[in-house]
Amino acid sequence: MSGEILSIILRRIAVAIPLMLLVSVLVFIVLRLIPADPVAMSMPPNATNEDIEALRREMGLHLPIMHQYGIWLGHILEGDLGRSIAFGQPVSKLIGESLPATIELAAFGALFATAIGLPGGILLFRLRGRPSEQAVDVGSTLMMSIPEFLWALFLILVFGVALNLLPFAGRLPPDMTIPRLTGFLLLDCLLTGNLTAFLEAIRHMLLPALALALGTVPLIMRLLRSSLLDVIGEDYVTMARLRGVPERRVINRHALRNALLPTLSLMGVQFGFLFGGTLLVEVIYSYPGLGNLMVEAVRNTDLPIIQGAALIFALAVLTINLAVDVVYIVVNPKLRRAR
Amino acid sequence: MSAEIAIGAATGTGERPLRRALRSGRVVVGGSILLVLLFCAIAAPLIAPYDPNEQDLLNALKGPFWSDNAEPGFWLGTDNLGRDTLSRLIYGTRVALFVAVCASVGTMLVGTTLALLAGYFGGVIDWLISRAVDLWMSFPPVVLSLILIVGFGVGIGNVILAIVLVDWTRFCRVVRSEVLVIRRQNYVDAARLSGFSHLRTMVREVLPAAAPLIITLMSLEMGIAVIVEAILSFVGMSVEASIPAWGVMIADARNYMYQSAWGLILPILAIVTTVLAFNLLGDGLRRTFDARLQQH
Repeated sequence: MSGEILSIILRRIAVAIPLMLLVSVLVFIVLRLIPADPVAMSMPPNATNEDIEALRREMGLHLPIMHQYGIWLGHILEGDLGRSIAFGQPVSKLIGESLPATIELAAFGALFATAIGLPGGILLFRLRGRPSEQAVDVGSTLMMSIPEFLWALFLILVFGVALNLLPFAGRLPPDMTIPRLTGFLLLDCLLTGNLTAFLEAIRHMLLPALALALGTVPLIMRLLRSSLLDVIGEDYVTMARLRGVPERRVINRHALRNALLPTLSLMGVQFGFLFGGTLLVEVIYSYPGLGNLMVEAVRNTDLPIIQGAALIFALAVLTINLAVDVVYIVVNPKLRRAR
Repeated sequence: MSAEIAIGAATGTGERPLRRALRSGRVVVGGSILLVLLFCAIAAPLIAPYDPNEQDLLNALKGPFWSDNAEPGFWLGTDNLGRDTLSRLIYGTRVALFVAVCASVGTMLVGTTLALLAGYFGGVIDWLISRAVDLWMSFPPVVLSLILIVGFGVGIGNVILAIVLVDWTRFCRVVRSEVLVIRRQNYVDAARLSGFSHLRTMVREVLPAAAPLIITLMSLEMGIAVIVEAILSFVGMSVEASIPAWGVMIADARNYMYQSAWGLILPILAIVTTVLAFNLLGDGLRRTFDARLQQH
């Protein structure tokens, strides 16, 4: 049976690979539209025509565009994403330094979203048919109208500026440094046994992660409610009720288990979006992650970083979707038997 | 003959959904907010007390009239350059609504056309369009719109184009599954049998049946467009600096939030109110149309 699951998973991966290639074509072509000349940007003003021509050849810009793409892709597959124009450092190094921070942030955001969204969905469901349902409904519509970057600013205003409870810039207080071991700050804090820094890092992450989560919570809530509404009419739920099982237990033991499946599958899509949401949240919280790197690069028209970051974002979304698919297959007994 | 009955039925119920929609509290509230915003956008030069770019450096970072450091004449205070917040908010509705309307019409046209083709013809066309949707969906929308804007350059037209190119998938996916259902209805077969061309069948038979869904999606898309424009102008990648936009106001005010938090709060409220209005309208319309489906 596990062999069948494995073959389904391998098939999903097989679909993801050509998709990733197409993503790279898209990134390459869109960024070729830029009017800026990458050669002129990476040359000092007193460069001679020969210098410029030499660099053009070095960068492969004299070749046909498909050929250029081939070279670019070849480099990427070797892990070479080019060199940043603004920083003069390899893009893979810059991304390697910032990606762990983004992964930590997105993971915390997803955790918060689940921790708030699932109980919230059950609450919405319990309130069905009551007068307060309308109020909660309008409340969730209101929450849906607030994107994560506005939550980010709002949380700063409330918890940072007005109440002065939580920090909202960077990952650690300015006077604190942690030696870089794995790149994952929380892990590094624990590995070096620095519990104070660990708690500080968590404190710094609360607001940005909450901002990310709040953009996703109302969707999870609504989704779980409608899934619960779908299964509540099923025979096995009626049977459980007829057997005199208390309502709380009917929901938690019988209905929730089946309602969670569609919610889980859509949460995967949402977590993909949540990963994209880190972009602005990082900018707002001066959080040194991939999003901040990319927006900085956009402002500097630093083409190699923009390309590299866009690819990594797409790769992350595909990976998250794939991971959720796998979890879905593993936990869904119907799929297990069907194939 | 069935086709004529179907058309008759469609036109016969054409008025009633509108009246029913107006009985929905959500539609009325959302619609009213949007009418006020539309009025602000059109009448901006008449109702704004100041030119949105007029600087008064002696009166910089003033609070709104209910706060301690208010300055008479500047109802909602001023920004760091002494520009009137109320006037900038009013002018900001122009950018927001213009982008909302143009971008949602654009995404609707692109998304619905592709969805009709995919759902109606199926087969290879459906496969190709569905894979294109998959490809697009693997980019976080913010990331894709950013790289598109980097490619196209800034400006309101390019912002609209970027939103259309990012968000057509939203329409395409949802409308396609609706078209797949409609396609199997008897009246669509009847239309084909009575000699309608593919194009005529799609436009006259399939499209009207999907219209309620499309209208709902457009309303939601307008809200999304407002957010995307605000995001892009927040990072300085949307309109030219001389055009007041809410996202620009937020970016400016962020650096002075300790001196004047209201400068940040007010444009945030403007965005949230606008998006909420579009969402209420869309939500209300969806419920209205759902009720009609249940009745039949």
